[in-house]
Amino acid sequence: MIAVPRPWRGGGSLGSPLVVLAAWLCGGVLLAFILLPLLQLVAVQTVGTLLEAARATDVQSALMLSVAASILTALVAGLFGVPFAYFLARADFVGKSAVAAIVDVPLTVPHTVAGIALLMVFGRHGIIGGPAEDFLGLRFWGTLAGIVVAMLFVSLPYTVNAARIAFEGVDPRLEMVARTLGLGPWRVLARITVPLAWRGIATGLTLTFARSISEFGAVVILVYYPMTAPVQIYEMFLRYGIEEASAVAVLLLIISLALFILFRHVAYGRRPVAGSGR
Amino acid sequence: MTALTVTGLSLRLGDFALDDVSFTLPANDVMVVLGPNGAGKSVLLETIAGFHRVVRGRIAIGGRDITALPPERRRVGFVVQNFGLFPHLSVAHNVALGARGHRQDGPPAARVDIAALLERFGIAHLANASPTVLSPGEKQRAALARAEASHPDLFLLDEPFAALDAPARAQLRLELARFLRERRLPALFVTHDYVDVAALGDQLALMRGGRIIQCGVVDEVFRRPVSRAAADILGFENQLVGRLESGEGRSARVVVAGRMLHAAAAGGTPADADIYVAIRAENVCLARPATPPKGAADNRLTATVVALEPLGALTKVTLDCGFPLIACLMSRDVPDIGLVAGATVTATIAAADIHVVAP
Repeated sequence: MIAVPRPWRGGGSLGSPLVVLAAWLCGGVLLAFILLPLLQLVAVQTVGTLLEAARATDVQSALMLSVAASILTALVAGLFGVPFAYFLARADFVGKSAVAAIVDVPLTVPHTVAGIALLMVFGRHGIIGGPAEDFLGLRFWGTLAGIVVAMLFVSLPYTVNAARIAFEGVDPRLEMVARTLGLGPWRVLARITVPLAWRGIATGLTLTFARSISEFGAVVILVYYPMTAPVQIYEMFLRYGIEEASAVAVLLLIISLALFILFRHVAYGRRPVAGSGR
Repeated sequence: MTALTVTGLSLRLGDFALDDVSFTLPANDVMVVLGPNGAGKSVLLETIAGFHRVVRGRIAIGGRDITALPPERRRVGFVVQNFGLFPHLSVAHNVALGARGHRQDGPPAARVDIAALLERFGIAHLANASPTVLSPGEKQRAALARAEASHPDLFLLDEPFAALDAPARAQLRLELARFLRERRLPALFVTHDYVDVAALGDQLALMRGGRIIQCGVVDEVFRRPVSRAAADILGFENQLVGRLESGEGRSARVVVAGRMLHAAAAGGTPADADIYVAIRAENVCLARPATPPKGAADNRLTATVVALEPLGALTKVTLDCGFPLIACLMSRDVPDIGLVAGATVTATIAAADIHVVAP
């Protein structure tokens, strides 16, 4: 949906046709920059090559693993990130801005660096990886758990930040009124706060999912095998060249875009007035 | 019948505080709490509702000590600015939440008839509407219906009209006053709009710096501020430095800028004390010079008009009568009296309208 700029409504600088023209030119370059490589990638494929790639069992399992690990990561991010986001939105404490900054750190850490750092902690001799295997039998190298750890590290900030902004947008007075109406603190969260912040929380979870399914650097260092789709694509690129790799790349692109659109639809498709279920 | 008793309430909350707040509000009385921003009015309401831990003091409704109870067990109806309807729930579900939320010791939720409640508040046709599309009046009715569903013993209203324009405000004020009168529960209404006071209040409490500085029947407090701070909150336009000559009996004599004024009884202030006198602008009557006085003319002052400020139906007049004095009169009277800058007029003020207040 392309919105036609309407200067008589936009007012301000959009009143000038030159500004509108410049905006469209810049925007056009930007959109082309995003779409051209992706369209080119898709355009060189035939249905035959895609189907052939999709029939390979190693490709299937890599794609399945990527989807499963990303969804799992989003769920873990929600489990830990959403309550923490509520706390950050409502509580006032010394060092709050430092805590918020720590949450953002993964956004600036190069993903290979994150992978190496995670390997040192969650690896065979790491301070978590060692005891986890000894006492719980939980291994982080070569397992789904390791993939989730790598994905979580790089994608958790999206859930925490989006949920925090969403919670900050819920008027605390609505929560107060709900309390006086007889709802305890947990019921206020469940009936008022989370439903009102739902859209932002779901957006955060969707971004975490999208970031996770596209993650390569941290995953490849912590867990090379079993291969997620990006690792599989990388290996095919090295071993067979660009054509073999691009077919799998398009499959991953289609799956991740489809799921992204689906989740966004779930997040935004909620009716604004829902029943409380009498 | 339940009365609200607050005794020695104190707490600290960042920049806000309550300092030894005490009052008793009889059942079926409405107390308006008036004060400047930051006076602690909202903190007082939120504390009574149970949102802040009390350092010292006691809150009781009809002998039931609620000081230590969580908000959901205090049985207070809390109405906030813009009425605080839950935007993700329909009107009926908003009201149902008030009934469902409830309470081990109240009537069971199933016995609260939501449809009847909506009918009673005249919003049955809006049952399935989103609160976001309601008019301010409909929002108020929905919020009151929702509070009613939870069977409150006390209403707390925190500037519900603050975001409304004047005509909507006037109408909602009337409706709310009628509801509270019929409901016969104690209610606290926080505002900084004087008009709310007379329309809604039986009692008036003036707050400043976390303290109640004056409290009593509306007319009494509104007409007789006991301190300069109280006169400020009540919007007395004239507050003049003076000296009390004698304050015995039913009237007092004060000297302001060398001129003797007869004032209302000073109530215990010792003679020879430095005091302030507070005079409402509308109690200063203006006439052409040498006009025989109409009514009480305890104080007749010759004054020069300094400036006129038209305010629509009213005109504010700044005078000089040895001290600055502000008067307020109907704009249509301005030409009759010949009010122009520089003109000389006679200002009369009844002694009962000159209040001696402590500095």
